[in-house]
Amino acid sequence: MKRPLSLLCELTYRCNLQCPYCYNPIPLAQYRDELSTQQWCEVLDSAAGLGVLQAHFSGGEPTLRRDVSKLIGAASQAGLYTNLITQGTFLDDALLDSLLASGLDHIQISIQAPDAELADRIAGTEAHAKKIEAIRRVSDREVALTLNCVLHRSNHDSIGAIVEFAERYGIRRLELANVQFYGWAFRNREALMPTRAQVARAHELVEEARDRLRGRMEITYVLPDYFGDFPKPCMNGWGNEFMTVTPNGDVLPCPAASAIRTLRFENVRDRSLGEIWKSSQAFERYRGTAWMSEPCRSCERRELDWGGCRCQAFLLAGDAGAADPACSLSPHHSIVEALREASPELEPVPRRA
Amino acid sequence: MSSERPSFGKGVKLRREADGAAILLVPEAALALNPSAAAALGLVDGAHTVDEIVASVVDQFEVEPAQARDDVTALFDRLAARGFLR
Repeated sequence: MKRPLSLLCELTYRCNLQCPYCYNPIPLAQYRDELSTQQWCEVLDSAAGLGVLQAHFSGGEPTLRRDVSKLIGAASQAGLYTNLITQGTFLDDALLDSLLASGLDHIQISIQAPDAELADRIAGTEAHAKKIEAIRRVSDREVALTLNCVLHRSNHDSIGAIVEFAERYGIRRLELANVQFYGWAFRNREALMPTRAQVARAHELVEEARDRLRGRMEITYVLPDYFGDFPKPCMNGWGNEFMTVTPNGDVLPCPAASAIRTLRFENVRDRSLGEIWKSSQAFERYRGTAWMSEPCRSCERRELDWGGCRCQAFLLAGDAGAADPACSLSPHHSIVEALREASPELEPVPRRA
Repeated sequence: MSSERPSFGKGVKLRREADGAAILLVPEAALALNPSAAAALGLVDGAHTVDEIVASVVDQFEVEPAQARDDVTALFDRLAARGFLR
């Protein structure tokens, strides 16, 4: 077993936006009993002791926790590289000062679309103007910035304009991430699904922008889940290098794993992070390749894509131990092929608490 | 191109492990470094010149000066193109 390299701290699932592509779990009320500052500090110390390199702070909206700077300070003190994943609407000068004084290394700010009208419609509230202020503020500071936009059917045609937006604000790193279908996004998948034409056009636009902006802007493009021949190497293998701690302290091998109702996840209030990583049933269940059945077991790609995503296998095929139905070799692949056909008449349901 | 006295870009950190391994931590990734790359990047501080860094690599490793210069320059240019060095 390897050491964990990356820890995602989901500080809270509270959020003032209502994006329909949110991957947070739908039963949000189960997560209201959030870990205390002291409990999070212990998690961060344990993570550093296990060999974790990077701590990502996310949510929900992580800056809704008043102790976010304190927690980033604790991570930084423990030697971890710190990354704040935020939608930016609370990122005023005072918060930014305190985050940077705590040693924050990197901020990822998301926008919903390049223009306020569409962006605010997707977010369900007026947020875009505040995000632009936050982007300006962060650009002037000594901290790395990545701009992120989650892509789905309503904004897929705006990719060119998103790149222009990033150029206008001097963005060095842009992440264009196709929506991943978990939590609220799974509920909304038919309304969020990009069309085949959109996916094909996006590929061309991204290649063109990468060529044109080489050396000035790095563009990461996260492929759509349901359109490839092979599944994504989810988490680079279950329990291989990544773990998530949810707001209430559950430890998951992947941020979407709570969807797998056949597994029981342990909590840092009951057992140490290290013990959970090394020996909890949920982590052991799909670690490595021994759990695989066909077509994964004898597949030459089994240590490239690790059978794809366990959550997707559970959500689509009803068996977390099956091959990811996104794989063209999966016996359940027809489910994904059917889902690829977008339903243009559907509108997504906004996330709500 | 990186500058004559290179320094790390925003959000870039060199980390030494207990076993001596070196890792360059960058936004959203961690890059494992070989010993000579680690030695070169260990002197990236905005004060040392590229000449001084090359000389230090030549001192520590069995490598011809011209080869060391090529290697260090190529490494620095690759990192500079991604904004990791300035």
